[in-house]
Amino acid sequence: MNEMNQTPPQMQYTPPQPVEDPADREPVNGVASVIECILRQPKRIHNALRQPGVTGVIGSMVVVSLVCAIIYGVVVGTFSGWPQLWIAPLKIAGGLLVAAIICLPSLYIFACLSGSRARLVEMAGLLAGLLLLMTLLLIGFAPVAWLFSASTNSLGWMGFLHLLFWGIATIFGMRFLSAGFAGTQARSNAGLNVWALIFILVCLQLTTSLRPIIGKSDTLFPGATEKKFFIKHWFDSLDSETNSTRKNNND
Amino acid sequence: MTIDTSTPPLTLRSAPELLRARAEVVDHWLVEARLRTALCCVVFIAVGAGAYGAAMGWWRSPVQAVFTAVKLPLAILGTTLGNALLNAMLAPLLGLNFTFRQSQMAILLSFTITAIVLGGFSPIAAFVVFSTPPLTLATTRVSPEYGFLQLTLTVFVATAGIIGTVKLLPWLRRWTNSLGVSLRVLFAWLAVNLLLGSQICWVLRPFLWDPNRPEEFIGPDGLSGSFFETVFEALHRLIVN
Repeated sequence: MNEMNQTPPQMQYTPPQPVEDPADREPVNGVASVIECILRQPKRIHNALRQPGVTGVIGSMVVVSLVCAIIYGVVVGTFSGWPQLWIAPLKIAGGLLVAAIICLPSLYIFACLSGSRARLVEMAGLLAGLLLLMTLLLIGFAPVAWLFSASTNSLGWMGFLHLLFWGIATIFGMRFLSAGFAGTQARSNAGLNVWALIFILVCLQLTTSLRPIIGKSDTLFPGATEKKFFIKHWFDSLDSETNSTRKNNND
Repeated sequence: MTIDTSTPPLTLRSAPELLRARAEVVDHWLVEARLRTALCCVVFIAVGAGAYGAAMGWWRSPVQAVFTAVKLPLAILGTTLGNALLNAMLAPLLGLNFTFRQSQMAILLSFTITAIVLGGFSPIAAFVVFSTPPLTLATTRVSPEYGFLQLTLTVFVATAGIIGTVKLLPWLRRWTNSLGVSLRVLFAWLAVNLLLGSQICWVLRPFLWDPNRPEEFIGPDGLSGSFFETVFEALHRLIVN
């Protein structure tokens, strides 16, 4: 009887642990390795960011991102020609860096709120990886963007095309960030999703604050004196282009 | 994946083998991704698409036939080269562990099949051109013969493109073991190739005939506007009017 009253032993369920590829544990050394890993072995970057002495990897990612942003900026500048050939790269690379610096504290805070045990430097590394993947993909789109820049006079169309390329690149960048975030013991992705929305809005607003990036202007930063929300700026640009097309057709 | 190393390399006599696209043969070419294989593909594209282009342009004149015979392969090779980096980056990001050379080889082999099919269609296209009322001073853009020719030749190109693409899917599936991943990679490659390819064709126009201009390799409006803007404006006119 005593045996019958005894409670059965609790079976402790341990979920199967994912088998980790030993190659993902190898260190990431050098710029070429960083580029190769972010495309093919993102887990290796995620693991490297948890090791001591990670600043070299982050530095490489930031430098390559800036170089790629500058190259893509030159392609953006070909639409209007000189002086946008140097202004657009400066604004795009600077804008991306500013967006990353502005958004890094909120990323870390949202990570902590989600229960993540990641350090600030790891979050900075994930953000640098996001920028790197985005700008690498933009370099891939550069030949397409250049051909359209050389062919069309439509500012609205080029703006749409660059936004489309940036949007696709951002989706892949966010996937990298999300995968890294999942490895930091975060309980939910809600915080990260909110942060992603904020990051996208900041980037879009920066395109308006730093305007013009594709077109030309008499001053370097007209956005400094005339503040606008990015959606209003887009509609204003489309209206002015439609008006000028109508005027040309009437002439 | 085990690769049969006794598989013969791709040569100019391998067109039937390429069309059969047996998995073990194609896998061998993909694994090796040799320059010689790529050069063979370029020759196939130049000959196959060139023959079809010549048949297309013949409707207007022999000079247009030569121009289109050069422009059609150029459009295919330009698309492959222009999107090389992007396609190679998209493959691993979407789950297909191809090297840069392997992704280029897969796309090149797919385009090569398309070009060989186009080459096979070229006598039929020539017959269609031969049977169509010739170009006269009275021919306009809305003339039925011009519309018929445009439609028929486009159907041939679309059919060849679909065949080349359909052949690519099983290769990708073998390398990923996942239909979802292979479909994602195929769709991404198709989308970016369509985006660039349509604009290259726009720049290289006319392929058939421009009623307002003499025969030219690239018209003066080559670098004005884009294919998608024109489609959008046409749709806008249709909706507004």
